[in-house]
Amino acid sequence: MKSCKLNNCLWAILFQLILLVSAPPVSSQNFDFSKLEPQVSAYTVIVEVQIEVSFGINSSDQEERYLGTIVSDDGLVVFDGTDLASDNLFSSFSGVTVKTTPTKVGVTTLDGLHYDGEFLGYDRFTKVGFLKIISPQEKHFSPIKFNKHHQFRVGEWLALYMIMPDFVSPPLAADIGMVSSLIESPEPFPLTVGFNAMQLTAVLYNSAYEPVGMLGNMMDPASSSADMGGMLESMESSGIPLLGVITGDRIEQLIATPPTKGEIERGWLGISLQALTKDIAEFWGLPLSGGIIVNEIIRNSPAAAGGLKIGDIIYQVNGEPIAVDREEKVAVFQRMIAALGPSAQVELGVMRSSDGAQDSVTLLVTLQKAPISPSDAPDYEDLSLELTVRELVFADYMVNNLDSEDFKGVVVSELTPGGPASIAGLSLGDVIQRVGSTEIRSVAEAQKALEKVSSAHPKEVIFFIWRQNQTMFVNVKPNWN
Amino acid sequence: MTLLGISVFGQNSSTTNQKQIYNARDKVMPAVVHIQPVIKNYTTGELEKQAVVGSGIVFHPEGYVVTNYHVAGKAERIICTLYDKEIVSAEFIGGDPPTDIAVIKLNLDEHKGPLVMAEFGNSDSVQVGQYVLAMGSPFALSRSVSAGVISTRDRYFSPDVRLPSGERTGSYNLWIQTDAAINPGNSGGPLVDLTGKVVGINSRATLFANNLGFAIPINVVREVTQAILTEGKVTRSWLGIHCQALVELEGYFGTERNNGVLVSSIDPGSPADQGFLKAGDIILKVNGQAVSARFVEELPAFYYMISKFAPGTKISLEVLRGAETFNFSMATKSLGELQGDDFEAKGWGFTVKGITRQMRLENQLEDTIGVIVSGVKRVGFAEDGGLTRGDVITAINSNELADLAEFIGIYNQMTSAEQEKVLLTVRRGKGIRYMVITADKSKGVSLNEELQTE
Repeated sequence: MKSCKLNNCLWAILFQLILLVSAPPVSSQNFDFSKLEPQVSAYTVIVEVQIEVSFGINSSDQEERYLGTIVSDDGLVVFDGTDLASDNLFSSFSGVTVKTTPTKVGVTTLDGLHYDGEFLGYDRFTKVGFLKIISPQEKHFSPIKFNKHHQFRVGEWLALYMIMPDFVSPPLAADIGMVSSLIESPEPFPLTVGFNAMQLTAVLYNSAYEPVGMLGNMMDPASSSADMGGMLESMESSGIPLLGVITGDRIEQLIATPPTKGEIERGWLGISLQALTKDIAEFWGLPLSGGIIVNEIIRNSPAAAGGLKIGDIIYQVNGEPIAVDREEKVAVFQRMIAALGPSAQVELGVMRSSDGAQDSVTLLVTLQKAPISPSDAPDYEDLSLELTVRELVFADYMVNNLDSEDFKGVVVSELTPGGPASIAGLSLGDVIQRVGSTEIRSVAEAQKALEKVSSAHPKEVIFFIWRQNQTMFVNVKPNWN
Repeated sequence: MTLLGISVFGQNSSTTNQKQIYNARDKVMPAVVHIQPVIKNYTTGELEKQAVVGSGIVFHPEGYVVTNYHVAGKAERIICTLYDKEIVSAEFIGGDPPTDIAVIKLNLDEHKGPLVMAEFGNSDSVQVGQYVLAMGSPFALSRSVSAGVISTRDRYFSPDVRLPSGERTGSYNLWIQTDAAINPGNSGGPLVDLTGKVVGINSRATLFANNLGFAIPINVVREVTQAILTEGKVTRSWLGIHCQALVELEGYFGTERNNGVLVSSIDPGSPADQGFLKAGDIILKVNGQAVSARFVEELPAFYYMISKFAPGTKISLEVLRGAETFNFSMATKSLGELQGDDFEAKGWGFTVKGITRQMRLENQLEDTIGVIVSGVKRVGFAEDGGLTRGDVITAINSNELADLAEFIGIYNQMTSAEQEKVLLTVRRGKGIRYMVITADKSKGVSLNEELQTE
């Protein structure tokens, strides 16, 4: 009998729950997409990009279609730049540089006008891509205006348009999702549910039909390849995409300083770093609830010039506390430094230990431009030997534990299978240090030496290379016919 | 199809050959040993025991058996089955990773019958096309014989090949290639000529290929086993040079045929480095004796020649640099161990290795200070702290460590004091990192016996 009662009780509760869930009409059902149409058709465009993807011994062309949004009256367009953000994380490990080059950019408005576009670059953190419409007569576009002050709530519905394949008409389809959590740490952003990764960079609308942000993958590796510590950490972190809102004010910031060539220029300090976790702070008896441990100072970097020392703990940047107490939050610090931009003057609050006592020091550091990644390094393609070499960059020195003062050369970044360089045994990632008896210290020197080879038509070219900690000679026999 | 094998040796000479095969079989098979070692593996972050199977051959009346280092090198116990099916335990005597040779000793007290030993032949006189038999335990099928010919006697393998235990192997010898079927489990077994003499120790095979097996020439084995029996190990000299065949580069260096050995790379801090040798130098003479390596097949003999000097010997090198000839003189050093000893820090969830000079060079470390992490347990305390394989631990709770012995000392002290949290200072690439790991108190103090010299 008891169990019977309990059953009745459960039924009552369940019944009520069902009522609660289904009774009030949810706002998604009421979302009237037709109200969005006039504004959406004014600033929404279809972006078609031909991309050349080259990775070492192979290159291929692909055509991609994105939903774009006009963000300025002179025709600046944002779109999902993930495909164009070259993978610069693994290239230094494997020697293989993945390089994506947009070869042709086209923009079509929803009313069918075609324009050529110029790819400007992308933001490495949000992966938002930027392009500029090239219009013959200084045409004025009507850009999107984000509501920068929208307060996101858990449970609130968000709407977006996604792009359909090109054989489907009309090109746009609607979708509805919801704010599922207001994430606080490692950094604040509204998390969404109901959307998917195919919809990245779509404009999100609130129930008042205002654009409030764009869909973003909030957990992409945020660290810069310049800071090895963070780089490894982000590789270790889980790859689960967390789709969230890139808020209106963040987008406005990006639009204010769009990239000019490739990536948005970012500030760089020049340290290896790790989080001051609670455990480590306890071990060292530090009265801090987080910070950045300086593990390595890069030679000639802003950190070196500013007087930072190995073992210092950065706990303040421009007076703001740095509460980095987990490795996952290191990226937030890196992003902050990056966003300050090159040549920014930064005041660092630093805790320094000497003889068991701690001193607090304030250092003034002038940031520099972050070192370029392997895929952005200048390169030279030699058509007769069928190889491409690129400049040695900072990440190469870090990954291979090499001294940038002593170690010079150029990296073999592309090889044609069956080409003279490839069949002679050169491999991707080899560092060419000499061509014949000419020392090679840069791509310019490599180009000069290889051009000389091309005009002299020798039977063989002897390369002196570095490969995995050892040097060797490689005899390349060009095919001059 | 199944009858193919019958006509392998041709019809005319089949009777003679058949007799010779029986004869060789009777001489050597009774000395073939089926070896089942339990080997220790530290690469997963904890000590794992693995039962493996290999082959061996009795070569000494006191019960010494030669096999491969990759069979018995890391064995903590060895069980052998002799040809008479008697089971006898054995102990590891010594090993030589550079040649992949190990010697074990049968516990003859446990053996009731007579012990048969095989006779070593002369691997320098074998010929391509010569009939040979391979004996051993392919896929653990003991007492198996396969037949074939010597396919080539000077097969070269790049010294980049590594043993499962991590050591680079094969720099000092060429290999006898045979089409006698050699499968996993044949390792350590004899390659026998038709007079019943062992001409090689079967060690490698190309997987998924048809009958590409490789044996270590018995003349190499003879020398290595003798050194192990008399001194416990093979001692080699080290100069720190890597060489390259000259054949494609004679035009560039302007050298004559069969004249000199090209130095392609110099290990930093090595005797060659300190003796001012450079990549691109061509060694013409060693102690007045002309040397040459026009082809890769000639490189092992040169490395062997250098290795044979007693460590510390001052040698003179006549070197061609550019158009000029110079004389260099330098003292060799001992090559030393390739890999350090292993240790399981059980309570901390990872394994470490001592750092040898060769490991320093291979891992681009600045020195041999500290211990190198050889494995981290998945879902362990150390993994949570971010420790990964290849990290070099240089201090524990800010106490600096010189070597593995100090690591073990501190580990034992801290685990017996039941210290819960441990701060590791770790060198990774160019930077250092600090990691706090939480010890598992249920895992007691590891015993010093984990540290073995192998």
